[in-house]
Amino acid sequence: MICCKECLDLLYDYFEGDLDQETTKSLDEHFQDCPPCISFLNTYKSTTKICRNTLNQVEIPEAIRNTLLKVLQDHKVDN
Amino acid sequence: MSFSQPKKDKEIEESLVREFQGGNLKAYDKIAEIYQKKIYGLSFNLTRNQMDAQDVTQEVLLTLFRKINMFQGKSAFSSWVYRITLNASYMKLRSKKKEPNISIDELMPSFNGAGFQQEKIQDWSENTESLMFNTETRDVINKAVDLLPEKEKVVFLLRDVEGLSTEKTGEIMNLTVPAVKSRLHRARLFLRKKLSYYFEEFSSRKAEK
Repeated sequence: MICCKECLDLLYDYFEGDLDQETTKSLDEHFQDCPPCISFLNTYKSTTKICRNTLNQVEIPEAIRNTLLKVLQDHKVDN
Repeated sequence: MSFSQPKKDKEIEESLVREFQGGNLKAYDKIAEIYQKKIYGLSFNLTRNQMDAQDVTQEVLLTLFRKINMFQGKSAFSSWVYRITLNASYMKLRSKKKEPNISIDELMPSFNGAGFQQEKIQDWSENTESLMFNTETRDVINKAVDLLPEKEKVVFLLRDVEGLSTEKTGEIMNLTVPAVKSRLHRARLFLRKKLSYYFEEFSSRKAEK
């Protein structure tokens, strides 16, 4: 059986589906018998998701949006 | 986990760029509209400062206006915009006093001699949904991302937050695909570990109640 380290090193490609069938199978087998790796796997996935959801929420404040619009309009008139 | 730009959007964008290069100012307005949120979001996540993000957004939008003819279509237009945005953001970051980065290696998983995990790994993934709307959680996440070393942070922001493909991230940052993958994996491992401290503490707080 492959060890945790090998599995976690390959985790990225495992999620991307970039591993060959045999390697994927040996990771699947490892995960079936290794609760710590399952926890790791779930939290790794979760990390990406919650970071994306949080950082994606950046909106341009209304005041800044208006300033930008004005700068661009002025600039276009100047040219 | 990648969701690259739909083909149709890309075609519309390319034709807008051609129209603007041909002198149509309305096309520029549309380009600015499409990109300003992306430019602002990326520069804000990098600089963590509204003023800086505003400056960067303004500078990039003006650069697009003035230098559109320098875009020759060798790479995707969006890659060009992201590259200009990154450079402008780096300038902002360089002008500030830099806090020393913590070593990313210390937060990588640890194994025993046989390659098995040494730490006790808690599965807190079930807890995250209910905590997502909590300001404290968002603060913790923002701070964790902020602590990433710059190289890892930029890859993470482009690939996982902006949702660009590995290939496109590589194109923007002049990195090979394996280099993008390895940096992104390290960034995710680092963030997972950082967030674990918080979520594990939260679970034990909940258990005590």
